[in-house]
Amino acid sequence: MARQFQRGQKTRLTDLTLGTDLYVGVQISGPGLVFDISCFGLDADEQLSDDRYFVFYNQPKSPEESLQLLGAQAGDTESFRVTLDQVPSAIHRLAFTATIDGDGTMAQAAPGYLRIVAGGEEVARYAFDGSAFTTERAVMLGDFYRKDGWRFAAVGQGFDGGLAALLRHFGGEVEEDDSADDPAQAAPQGGAPGFAVPGAASAPVAPGFAPPGAAAPPAPPPPAAPAPPPPAVTQPLPVQTPHAPVAAHQPPPPPAATQPFPVQPGPYAPPGHQAPPAYPAPGQPVPGHPAPPAAPYGGPPPQAPYGGPPPQPPFPGGPHQQPHHPAPTPVAAGAAGAAGLQGAFQKYGGSREHRRWAVQNPQLVRADLGIDGKPVLARQGSMVLYQGDVEFGYKGAGMRGRMTRWATGEGMPALMRCTGTGQVFFAEEAAELHPVELQGDAIVVASQHVLAFDESLDVEVRRIDGHGIPGGSLFALQFQGTGTLVITTHGQPLVLPVTNATFADANAIVAWSAAAQVLVANQVRLRRHAYPGHTGESTQLQFRGAPGNFAIIQPYEI
Amino acid sequence: MDQRMIAGHAPTAPAARMDNHGPSIARVALRSGQDLFARAGSMIGYEGFIQYEANSSGLGRAAAGRISGENVPLMRCHGDGRLYLADYGAHVVCLELAEDNLSVNAANVLAFDAHLQWGVQRVKGVAKFAGQGLFNLGISGTGWVAVTSRGMPVVVDCAQAGETFVDPDALVAWSTGLRVEGKRSFKASSLIGRGSGEAFQLAFSGHGFVVVQPSEDSTDRLTQPQQQ
Repeated sequence: MARQFQRGQKTRLTDLTLGTDLYVGVQISGPGLVFDISCFGLDADEQLSDDRYFVFYNQPKSPEESLQLLGAQAGDTESFRVTLDQVPSAIHRLAFTATIDGDGTMAQAAPGYLRIVAGGEEVARYAFDGSAFTTERAVMLGDFYRKDGWRFAAVGQGFDGGLAALLRHFGGEVEEDDSADDPAQAAPQGGAPGFAVPGAASAPVAPGFAPPGAAAPPAPPPPAAPAPPPPAVTQPLPVQTPHAPVAAHQPPPPPAATQPFPVQPGPYAPPGHQAPPAYPAPGQPVPGHPAPPAAPYGGPPPQAPYGGPPPQPPFPGGPHQQPHHPAPTPVAAGAAGAAGLQGAFQKYGGSREHRRWAVQNPQLVRADLGIDGKPVLARQGSMVLYQGDVEFGYKGAGMRGRMTRWATGEGMPALMRCTGTGQVFFAEEAAELHPVELQGDAIVVASQHVLAFDESLDVEVRRIDGHGIPGGSLFALQFQGTGTLVITTHGQPLVLPVTNATFADANAIVAWSAAAQVLVANQVRLRRHAYPGHTGESTQLQFRGAPGNFAIIQPYEI
Repeated sequence: MDQRMIAGHAPTAPAARMDNHGPSIARVALRSGQDLFARAGSMIGYEGFIQYEANSSGLGRAAAGRISGENVPLMRCHGDGRLYLADYGAHVVCLELAEDNLSVNAANVLAFDAHLQWGVQRVKGVAKFAGQGLFNLGISGTGWVAVTSRGMPVVVDCAQAGETFVDPDALVAWSTGLRVEGKRSFKASSLIGRGSGEAFQLAFSGHGFVVVQPSEDSTDRLTQPQQQ
């Protein structure tokens, strides 16, 4: 939990963290403004007596490396690693400053912040914006200074000149202000610490150094490199553990069970495909978040928000490839735009894989009918585009024999039959699509989640009746044989392993392995009648089966 | 309060006139003198001093569109600051035109630079087709355009195949160099194309690209006069 600082506020650093290996991140920006962010290591007289302790873009570290400039990362415009217990005793104050390079004044600065991160956890944040300034062209943002150990002050003092003037200021003038502990008085001047006891702050138990969300290599860490966070960091959500084994869209441990459904690369990335967690806004790392390789919110894993087929990621080299790079969200869009329309559209080109079923992007699949010439059945109206020679026919009587109840069942999709040699693109209301390749095994899919499938698959209607099921009964199609079917989900699905107590909401269920037995479970509670309230969750489907079975659920209840 | 949520989604410095904040927010760096047309009601937030006006200079054109049934309510945004635009969570694509011509389905226009040439175009050969796709916004010149798409779009290069057939409901934009014709489906019994019951596609041929969205349901919002 980060503590918020106001301008002029001070505190002992030990009140924030016991760590002395700190990450200091500064985020500052403004339309058309370029900022230089630097750190001055000042002596007891507020002077830059040793200019090796002026850490800036041309001098990224101090001699003994207690101050290091790390560059932009994790959403910060600039970041530093400060190892306070290695700072020479002659250095009494570390002043973090931002200066405008070029034209502009601080008043134009957008909201920004200076933050301190210890052990991957943000412990302090001083937020500021341009409204606190007028014509200043530099600002002293915050200081670490020695006074009975290290302290931190949020300074926020503007300065009229640019970087050079600031340098001159620290080199030539002396400001005396001894009342460091009085915020009101000290704030405007940035507060001189007076005399301070030399020696590092003691830190018996110190969280290690870690820039937010990244590992802590000794050298300036590359922006990426997700690594297990230091122990000080708590896992973000406990939910993760139960779901983690499921991540591979395959039943978890027991591999003895029939290897179910090899899924084509695509939304369900193959295990081990390392991609950023899906939750944080694309490319926006969540500071302080350890960013485990698995998606922090459980469920099918590493799926880049737009994750197309691995061979051709939709944002080549874009922010999605570098979870910890702070590249302002998809700058890719802007950057690619420079190459004109073709460039901007490049990432939407989709996959050029030559296979019968290819994932164009998470919401579009392409069926190449020419590849083995067999027809595809698809939900009517799901074609968005086709190339080449394709005919669409109404799918009717021919299948009656096999699907007697299909014709009568409500909620059954009307199908069309696509024949020919061309390529057809299927999509359905921007739902996520998941091709599932069956190799002699069987899966049951709720009928409204079937988008398209190879005609070679055997289809059988299954109907689950039960009191309390919306609409009276749930229609599902059981697919068996060899071929591919495409399932739609609203949002990223969750694949639950079937255990002895696995329940799903009948509205959210997408599919389950055919060997699992489905029961309708009504929660009967006498209490319910005693109170007017009603949870709305009184009927569930229960799944039972041998280990290796699974149920797929979507985060959306129809 | 959990700072992770806040810091993780904080705005970053704009890298260009238009770029994305996440997949479905367009961020425009507005400068006075460089006005922007945006879909009326699409502003979700702004920083700085930005003013919004009902489109006055283009009123004639907008009126023409209204008569023709194509409702493109635009507003003019001017001032200095950053403008955030979105359209009901649709995927946003920011495009920089460099003397390019683009024909965008009016339902999919989010914003464009006011100095671009634009006009409501009638798509030939589609006259009898009801719904969208009948009239488009033709945009040309050098500047930025933000286009929305329900879901992540796919861009098809028409030069690679002889003809590309697109469901008009899923069509987002195309480069104007393409030849477009309407195509009725082959058999009376075939049923593709939802709603209308009519099987109808647009056939594109030539050199250029077509942008298609993975959804066919944009019509309902288009015809809802939500901004009127």
